[in-house]
Amino acid sequence: MSFTSLVPLIGISDVVIGLSLGSRLFLIAVGLSLIFGVLGVLNFAHGGFYMLGAYVTLAVVSNVIDNFWVAAAAGALAVGVVGAAIELSAIRRLYNRVDSDLDQLIVTFGFVLVIHETVRFIWGSGSYSIDPPDVFNFSVALGGSTFNAYRLVVIGLAVAVLVGLWLFITRTYFGSLVRGTSSDREMAAMLGVDVPRLYTGVFFLGSVLAGLGGALSAPLQATSPALGDQVIIDAFIVVVIGGLGSMSGAFVGAMLIGMMQSLGPQFISAGSIAIPFLAMVIVLLLRPEGLFGGIGE
Amino acid sequence: MSATDTGGRVSQFGSAVAEGWTRERFGLLGAVALILIAFGPPFQVYLFTDFLVVALFALGFNLLYGYTGLLSFGHGLFYAGGAYGIAIVLRDLGPVFADVVGAGISPLVTFVVGGVVGLALVVVVAVPVGWLSVRLEEIYFALITLAFGMLGYSLIIQDPAGLTNGTDGVIVLLGTVDLGGVSIRVGGRRLYYVISAITVVAATYGVWRIVNSPFGTVCKAIRESPDRAGALGIDVRHHRWMTFIVSAAIVGIAGVLRAGLASVASPGLTHWSTSAIAVIATVIGGATYFSGPIVGAFIFLYIRWGISRFPALEAYWELFFGALLIAVVLFFKQGAVGGLHLLRDRLVGDGGGGGAAEAGSRATSAPDEATESSDDDARTDRGDTS
Repeated sequence: MSFTSLVPLIGISDVVIGLSLGSRLFLIAVGLSLIFGVLGVLNFAHGGFYMLGAYVTLAVVSNVIDNFWVAAAAGALAVGVVGAAIELSAIRRLYNRVDSDLDQLIVTFGFVLVIHETVRFIWGSGSYSIDPPDVFNFSVALGGSTFNAYRLVVIGLAVAVLVGLWLFITRTYFGSLVRGTSSDREMAAMLGVDVPRLYTGVFFLGSVLAGLGGALSAPLQATSPALGDQVIIDAFIVVVIGGLGSMSGAFVGAMLIGMMQSLGPQFISAGSIAIPFLAMVIVLLLRPEGLFGGIGE
Repeated sequence: MSATDTGGRVSQFGSAVAEGWTRERFGLLGAVALILIAFGPPFQVYLFTDFLVVALFALGFNLLYGYTGLLSFGHGLFYAGGAYGIAIVLRDLGPVFADVVGAGISPLVTFVVGGVVGLALVVVVAVPVGWLSVRLEEIYFALITLAFGMLGYSLIIQDPAGLTNGTDGVIVLLGTVDLGGVSIRVGGRRLYYVISAITVVAATYGVWRIVNSPFGTVCKAIRESPDRAGALGIDVRHHRWMTFIVSAAIVGIAGVLRAGLASVASPGLTHWSTSAIAVIATVIGGATYFSGPIVGAFIFLYIRWGISRFPALEAYWELFFGALLIAVVLFFKQGAVGGLHLLRDRLVGDGGGGGAAEAGSRATSAPDEATESSDDDARTDRGDTS
């Protein structure tokens, strides 16, 4: 049978690596999707936020406190503050324009350049890496292959973020405000929702998630200024496939792309990096609302 | 305006310029400038050629963005299409042409044929890509063009057909024309500048004719309101598709010139960061003006060169353009050309000099318009003569 001949090719470690790649993609894509779903802004700078999160984490670990978790929290929060500042100073001015969508995309692209160069100015063009936190820095042997236990932690945290966000959006008061504003901004404003503050809050949250993604994946990859540009394109693919504005879609899309990045090269040699873009084109044409469409799901 | 003595004199000067400096004179002045540049220092000739190519790239892009309202983040695909078209013809067919037309003139013939092939390749790609892309609007259009561009990037990098030489790209050797003992390198900076200048001026004139034709008017109608244009009986999607193809073809011509200038057709041309150069140049120059992308490309190339003169700043020129891009979109959407219009109105005091800088498009308009209306005009004048 042809199937049995395929099985030995897929090690469990490949699956775990794919899922952990998907997890970091999920953290950036879910923030991107959340911001688009509520504010209608496609934030080109989200990859830059992710990269910034990784850099701040690295800097805190090596200069301030030798505790990865504290550093990761600091990285995520710092990115949140940067995101909120960008929303307050720039993006806010564009909500009421006629062609606001494209202006927002161009302004956030401007921030891609600014963040990229600022990071290069502070940390240089070289790449940095750190070890996973000691507690999880050991190899797991499973099914004849090995992988670092920290990858499982990242996957677990991504799932926890998904569940937490879902509970937050569907069960809390603030979440109901977010959902209400997302479906009808004017009505929400008339009912007394402070829409500008809510927008800043959502942008802050989305940025924190991107920063967290960067922070958590700092031990898994080399962090360099080019990281943001690479990851934002993957994040665009994920949110398009999952559906712009959909959180569960971002999760499924991210895992799909993560697995494709991990397993794809073993099955298709030529054209394998083209497949995600082909998928993006097909989804945009046939189901622009994404495979799991629906705002705020 | 308060007619102080100086103000009055400046105003008089402005009117005189408006009366006397017709489109023809400005055209002549431009032509003389273009010829003089050919005798400049080699690096300046190169830099100016670079500017011309980027200007044409941005101009083609802006046909879709400024005139039709569609933001493409994938025009690098067509830039690369032109470049790879000519590069592959030069590599694979150069010897064949040498046999047919003789070795002396074959580099020039191959260059021309390669350029035509590059342009044809771009159109062949743009027809289906455009047909699919114009099904979407706004953010979704930007995303699908981005995806198409990156799809092309992936295919060029991985090279399944064995044509594009992967990440290294295809080397472009333009060769030497040999005519009865006189040999000229086609890729030599001065000759290549002349070829580029003629091509870019011709293509720019073509685009200018297009945007001032009924076709261009329909584009602007669609940009202002697709629904209203549709209600007037315009097939919006079909017209966007046609504009997409024309826009891609213009960018393809720029790509052909880029290949010869850079001596290589590299996969980076397809990457979205190359597509973004057209966005940056156009927005900074002013997307609503015909000359916006040209002025934007000028600012982009020359400020980048200026920054590169300071080693401490050299690596950070992107920071400057990122900040400039943000500032322009937030505070002054008309861009540099809009700024020049405002400045001109300040100096002249009325709309008399109207459009003098705009290739003389409004050189004959009434000199005694009120400042108020000319300001208004500058804001709504999207580079057309109306």
